[in-house]
Amino acid sequence: MSSSSDEEEVYQFYRDRAEWSDVKPIPQDDGASPVVQIAYSDKFKDAFDYFRAILHTNEKSERALELTQTAISLNPANYTVWQFRRVILQHLKKDISEEMNYLSKIIKEQPKNYQVWHHRRALVEWSRDSSKELEFTEKIIKLDQKNYHAWQHRQWVIQEFKLWDNELTFVDSLLEQDLRNNSAWNERYFIIENTTGFTDQVVNSEIQYAISKIDIATKNESAWSYLRGVLGDRSLTWSKELRDQVTAWRNDGLKSPYLVAILIDFYEEDLENKKCNVGETLGKVKELCNELANETDTIRRKYWKYVLHRLIKEYQENEP
Amino acid sequence: FERKKHIRFFTRILQILPSRYAILDTSRLTVAFFALSGLGVLDALDAIPDKDKQEIIEWIYTLQVVGNKAKSSAFNCVFNCRDIIYFSFCYTESMETTNNYDCSHIAMTYTGLASLLILGDDLRRVNKHACLEGIKALQLPDGSFKSSYDGSENDMRFIYCACCVCTMLDDFSAINQATATNFIMKSLCHDGAFGQGPGHESHGGSTYCACASLQLMGRLTTTLSPKQLKRLEYWCISRQRNGFNGRPHKDDDTCYSFWVGASLKILGIFDLVDFKENENFVLSTQDIIVGGFAKWPQINPDALHSYMGVCGLALMSLHSLQPVDPTLNISERARLHMQTLHEQWAVARKHKEAVSRVRTKS
Repeated sequence: MSSSSDEEEVYQFYRDRAEWSDVKPIPQDDGASPVVQIAYSDKFKDAFDYFRAILHTNEKSERALELTQTAISLNPANYTVWQFRRVILQHLKKDISEEMNYLSKIIKEQPKNYQVWHHRRALVEWSRDSSKELEFTEKIIKLDQKNYHAWQHRQWVIQEFKLWDNELTFVDSLLEQDLRNNSAWNERYFIIENTTGFTDQVVNSEIQYAISKIDIATKNESAWSYLRGVLGDRSLTWSKELRDQVTAWRNDGLKSPYLVAILIDFYEEDLENKKCNVGETLGKVKELCNELANETDTIRRKYWKYVLHRLIKEYQENEP
Repeated sequence: FERKKHIRFFTRILQILPSRYAILDTSRLTVAFFALSGLGVLDALDAIPDKDKQEIIEWIYTLQVVGNKAKSSAFNCVFNCRDIIYFSFCYTESMETTNNYDCSHIAMTYTGLASLLILGDDLRRVNKHACLEGIKALQLPDGSFKSSYDGSENDMRFIYCACCVCTMLDDFSAINQATATNFIMKSLCHDGAFGQGPGHESHGGSTYCACASLQLMGRLTTTLSPKQLKRLEYWCISRQRNGFNGRPHKDDDTCYSFWVGASLKILGIFDLVDFKENENFVLSTQDIIVGGFAKWPQINPDALHSYMGVCGLALMSLHSLQPVDPTLNISERARLHMQTLHEQWAVARKHKEAVSRVRTKS
């Protein structure tokens, strides 16, 4: 408590600052009967009353820039403040790298705020300087591996400035640490899609990669999704290796719901391609769906029953 | 389920929030929507006296201001907030060119219109033309939308807001549906669900926005192939652990009981959810002292999670909650009111056309 009251003592309201005496503050007009009022602090009210005033006169000055900084510290989610700050920065031709340093500090405090990341992107677009972005987003990602904003920004920078070269190494290191990092799996797909593309050869090697990760943790949804993802428009049974591996895992007694789910899909493709004995295959599907519904994935029991009924309806009735 | 406490929670929000909520300053209208719609779903709009309801309607309308008519027709009417700098309906002019301190947000347009519908307003005072021009000006060449004219990030959330606004105003001419659909499909991720934009990771929130937008444009089943729909179903249903998470390997979070639940409802397979587990999770985040729901158990409730918690339970028709329209995220009752208005508008339009035909003939 004492430290905050000390701070209050040091802080000088804008209304008490001599250099602001020429400005007439504009109080918030909330109308006769405001809804969802906020009991603003005095500091907040004071700063935003002055912010409204400079916005009204369109004052693009050093003191206005300083004021936006105060306003941002009070509400970093106010997009008008950020927007006006950009207008001032451009008008005064301010040094972008200085702004970047300031912004980096704020993002570290507010890593999940849309406005700060949008500001960052705007600055990079102006300066066309992407040299700090990979390192910076890496820092944020290290703090929270799944920070959506950081990943979005990173992808944008990589795409905009063609910084693909070392990204796969970065992703690998993240997956080494945590092979359930879904954001990293997504990044892997993103890089390959935009560089080599998923040629047959790449698909095969990516299947190998995913298999090696599934071998360590068989219930990792991210790795299984990646497997399906890299196949793209190809059928699941396109890769004989994949099917053999899944069958081998199954024969070893693995019961991972994701493994069983893909087995069901293999069988569905067999049914679709009329490559099997319908009755026998549906029998296997039934067994697998029941295992999921009653044993290994009971929270989705209704879903697995639905899958079973759908397949029976679709294929049993078509049996000649 | 502490119905009475939730009603008190939402009515309190409508009045005043403590200073620590200052970060919500720019989205007060959205907070009002959560509270109003929350009360609607709780079947408790009576908790707001009629006089107050009227005042809330007036307050929302004060956020709509007619702009400078001397400017081009696209800008002849601007929805914004008068001396308030935090939100507005729809606004198409740049702050720079107008020397104006109005800043709008497409999400405010959506939640503003939704709030008016919930309160039973007839939208007569909404300047529909300006509103739609505003929406139009926010669409980018790639089909996505930004939230405000002066620049913001552009992603799936704002496509959804645009689709809701056009649905509520019964006019989709402001959206280039082909490019919007293209953007949505480019955001279809390798795992079968949608990210906020092309290349981005699948996410429960963006998946909801994508599904609901496609549904509102009437393009869901014609755009996604049966195989894509199947994978999307699988991804969504896989989000249930006890409640729902928004991404693989993340913790359950109350709001996804709605975002993912409603996606499943739109896809037509919501009944496959384990209702009991989902209900238990949502109730575990309920604050039994002050009412409301939190993101996770044992933390403070907030407006968004309280509303999404109530809606998540409503999808399962529990606790006598009002049915919720999964695409617009308003009560079924509010949606029916909207339809009635649309029918009236259609009659009025036809009448006007008939009159002008008679006039041209004579």
